[in-house]
Amino acid sequence: MMAVKKKFPYRAAVVACNGDCPASAGFRCSYGCVGCGNCAAVCKFGAISLNANGVAEVDEERCIACGMCVKICPQQVIRIHECANSIVVKCSNQDRGKDAREVCQTSCIGCGICERTCTAEAVKVVDNCAKISEEDCLSCGMCAVKCPRGVIADLRGILT
Amino acid sequence: MYTFTVNGQVVTTRKKQTLLRFLRDELHLTSVKDGCSQGACGACTVIIDGKTCKACVPTTDRLEGKNILTVEGLSKWESEVFTYAYGEAGAVQCGFCIPGMVMCTKALLDVNPDPAEAEIKYAIRNNYCRCTGYVKIIAAVKLAAKILREGVIPAKSADDWKIGSRVHRLDVEEKVLGFGKYPDDFYMDGMCYGSALRSKYPRARVMSIDASAAKALPGVVAVLTAEDIPGENKIGHLKHDQYTLIPVGGLTHYLGDAVALVAAEDMETVERAKKLIKVEYEVLPTVHSIEEARAMDAPLVFDEEESNVQAYKHVSRGNAKEAIKNAKHVITQHFETPWTEHAFLEPECAVAYIDEDGDVRIISTDQDAYCTFHECSLMLGTDKVKAENALVGGGFGGKEDMTVQHHAALLAYRTGRPVKVRLTRAESLLIHPKRHHFVMDFTMGCDENGRILGVKAKVASDTGAFASLGGPVLERACTHAAGPYAYENFEIEGTAYYTNNPPAGAFRGFGVTQTCFATETLLNMMADEIGITPWEIRYRNAIRPGGVLPNGQIVDESTGLAETLEAVKEEYDAAMAAGKPVGLACAMKNAGVGVGIPDWGRAKLIVEEDQKLHIYAGASCIGQGLGTVLVQMVVSNTDLRRDDIVYERSNTWIAPDSGTTSGSRQTMITGEAVRRACEKLMEAKKDGKTLADLAGQEFYGEYLAKTDPLGADVPNPVSHVAYGYATQVCILDSKSRKIDTMIAAHDVGKAVNPLSCEGQIEGGVVMSLGFALTERYPIDENCKPIDKFGALGLFRAHEIPKIKAIVIDKPGLNVACGAIGIGEITSIPTAPAVTDAYYRLDGERRFTLPISGTPYERKGS
Ligand code: SF4
Ligand code: SF4
Ligand code: FES
Ligand code: FES
Repeated sequence: MMAVKKKFPYRAAVVACNGDCPASAGFRCSYGCVGCGNCAAVCKFGAISLNANGVAEVDEERCIACGMCVKICPQQVIRIHECANSIVVKCSNQDRGKDAREVCQTSCIGCGICERTCTAEAVKVVDNCAKISEEDCLSCGMCAVKCPRGVIADLRGILT
Repeated sequence: MYTFTVNGQVVTTRKKQTLLRFLRDELHLTSVKDGCSQGACGACTVIIDGKTCKACVPTTDRLEGKNILTVEGLSKWESEVFTYAYGEAGAVQCGFCIPGMVMCTKALLDVNPDPAEAEIKYAIRNNYCRCTGYVKIIAAVKLAAKILREGVIPAKSADDWKIGSRVHRLDVEEKVLGFGKYPDDFYMDGMCYGSALRSKYPRARVMSIDASAAKALPGVVAVLTAEDIPGENKIGHLKHDQYTLIPVGGLTHYLGDAVALVAAEDMETVERAKKLIKVEYEVLPTVHSIEEARAMDAPLVFDEEESNVQAYKHVSRGNAKEAIKNAKHVITQHFETPWTEHAFLEPECAVAYIDEDGDVRIISTDQDAYCTFHECSLMLGTDKVKAENALVGGGFGGKEDMTVQHHAALLAYRTGRPVKVRLTRAESLLIHPKRHHFVMDFTMGCDENGRILGVKAKVASDTGAFASLGGPVLERACTHAAGPYAYENFEIEGTAYYTNNPPAGAFRGFGVTQTCFATETLLNMMADEIGITPWEIRYRNAIRPGGVLPNGQIVDESTGLAETLEAVKEEYDAAMAAGKPVGLACAMKNAGVGVGIPDWGRAKLIVEEDQKLHIYAGASCIGQGLGTVLVQMVVSNTDLRRDDIVYERSNTWIAPDSGTTSGSRQTMITGEAVRRACEKLMEAKKDGKTLADLAGQEFYGEYLAKTDPLGADVPNPVSHVAYGYATQVCILDSKSRKIDTMIAAHDVGKAVNPLSCEGQIEGGVVMSLGFALTERYPIDENCKPIDKFGALGLFRAHEIPKIKAIVIDKPGLNVACGAIGIGEITSIPTAPAVTDAYYRLDGERRFTLPISGTPYERKGS
């Protein structure tokens, strides 16, 4: 394992998928993480692994935001974010509300509640899925608290 | 049942509500401020399990087992360290953001005892401060870190409290530790809550109001309409055109007009009752812009008026037309500046109750307790009214009008109960008067050496739904449009129009911010045309002691514009030589109301039973630090020590009326009144008497700042007793295209507290960086403005450039020991300096604020 001195502001990879589609039924949302493990294999820092849901999860302490996983992910659900922005959308599903609801318990249905609540006008629903503009976001977590689907997570574990 | 820990105590609650409401309303931990309840401002920041969190976000049901810390729960050592560090750094102004900032400080330092500056900025970047520009808060965090590492609190760097001393402000501790009270922090026995039902349409006639269902709702204490007003319905500063409540048959003027008032046992019931009030409207076409207001067939905003012109000013001296005709260089240009929201951190709030004398007593956050007194007396038809200031969480001109005070007073008068009326942030954004949107056409003529020969201009402003201070703002915009330069031919015509938009009124700079942008930009263009630098053209034209301003006033010895230019010269030249994009602008701003209006400062010094001298002046401290200034004034003019003196907040029954905190006037005008009272005190102390000997005695001082009215028939009218001058320089980083450094040199006469002066400068500069680059206050086609605090585009801590505040300390005038106010001018030259720097970067002239094509522009919108 390599130890790297990280530079402020810290960045890390984030996986935009909660992985709540019923994997047991052998069924996977076509937009989300498929649990292939390529990212975990390519990461030199041991910063990404598959969790109990079989979905990739990042250890921000270890991640240096080199972006290898982002490149290799066949589903393109990994991106780099600033760790200070702890409120993240953990879904990539672009299906319309009804379909999105069926494939997963914590999928974004594009209802727009987050967009309407956000004081900073930092969330927009694009292609039926919420996106947060990191530059504008005030990391308050109001969207995470108001989202009826539990799509948006507080990576610090305080609000969600 | 939800169980969690607050400041070490296990608490349980059944009610699902936000943590903010629980902490404030049930535990009365009022250090946790409610600045928006939207997750934007950060004033409610607490620490949950070691991490900062905005308390208005999580609901109690999400907090099971969590450990919550507020400022009240800090250890004694931490409290002392943070109080010292924030005081020593000068980080506290209005204080409303401060407990949240302190929480961010602690959370950061607990895990990172020696943070880099960038890390500090990140730690506070989700919390807004509108007063300080963050500079001194960042310094306070750094200092707190050092003290916590070293384990000792050093001595204060200044403690003599004389004028010129960088003492810690007197209100640091109560603001850092959060025990100081703003009106919203009062919870009285039997208190109910009030709120107004606002008009559904910006312009409509109210046909009927049926409140029976609302009145029948359990928990409702009263529902009031215009008929319940005992005195005058219409109030206002100069023109009484602001309706307390729109009567049946009356016209609404904007979406903030109140139609009915509800008081109930709790806020939920108030909101439910408001929904039950049935109002029938006849919806009418609206007036949405200056254009529409002046159209031939425009609908009238006011039934009472014959046109939508609210005010008209014409200022002329010499012959501008002729001078421009004969000038070698002439430039004509159109300019526009936007609406701006004050965005003070504390939303408007007042608590009113019937006191032991049977008077309606109003505890309010305003810029003038006497104004609250006069307006509420007028409306109640009785002078059995008292008003007093609690702490004021920022004003910047936005708390000069009645927003909640009159409503609270009426509800208390009618119900006999204590009533709290507080605006939600969305209401605050809609209701208090904003900075005027201006459209301006300017022509400037110069000779071949860049000497200004004449300026001619026509400006118009949108003053919205009622006059507020629209007239005086327009007047100041016009009188100061000439700039701080010596030339003789100047003519300007200005018109303010009523529209159905939110009202516009006073805002730091008072109209000068707008016209200065035009004049200074023209000067920069003129410098290029002539082939000299923007610095040089100003140095050639600068008004100097004994010179005559375009308004005819001969300026006095204290005039320091040239010194402010000289103060920035070295860095300006260095940046130019290094090929950096540099912009520059100057400004002048009056201190004191001026133009012939009687401008009184009054103060009473009373030796009370505690054998201390109490300072009573009916003058509001809105966060700028007036109390500290007055105490320094007393220490410098008597033989008393700091500990002998108590500063009392403004009230209307002991403190004499010392006018509004407006026009950068309090330091000088109330300061001089206090100085005069000190003379009397020292007279009484002559034969060795001590304060104990003088117990019960009062010493009164008053000062009239005498000026000539506009257009006075004298050759050289004195429009204002004093002016402050400034030069600001903006240096860009060509690579990032962002601002690297702002240099702000200000002539303040004698600086009473240089630390506070710097704080005013930094705060004013950052506020106007927003005005120049990022801030917005969009109003849609239904005259509805933005309702989200986080989307206003206020600067955040990690976005600020380096700011170098230069206080030019001079003897000043023979008034108030030479002090001249600095409150407003700090915000005035910033926008034209920034705009010019961007022109130097990319060759594009910009005439509309906020400017486009900069990296500060929001990508999303
Ligand atoms: S509230 Fe939740 S489900 Fe609705 S759009 Fe936002 S993220 Fe998606
Ligand atoms: S965390 Fe707050 S500011 Fe950020 S997107 Fe969500 S609601 Fe908006
Ligand atoms: S009150 Fe919570 S962020 Fe403003
Ligand atoms: S001191 Fe920060 S908002 Fe006033």
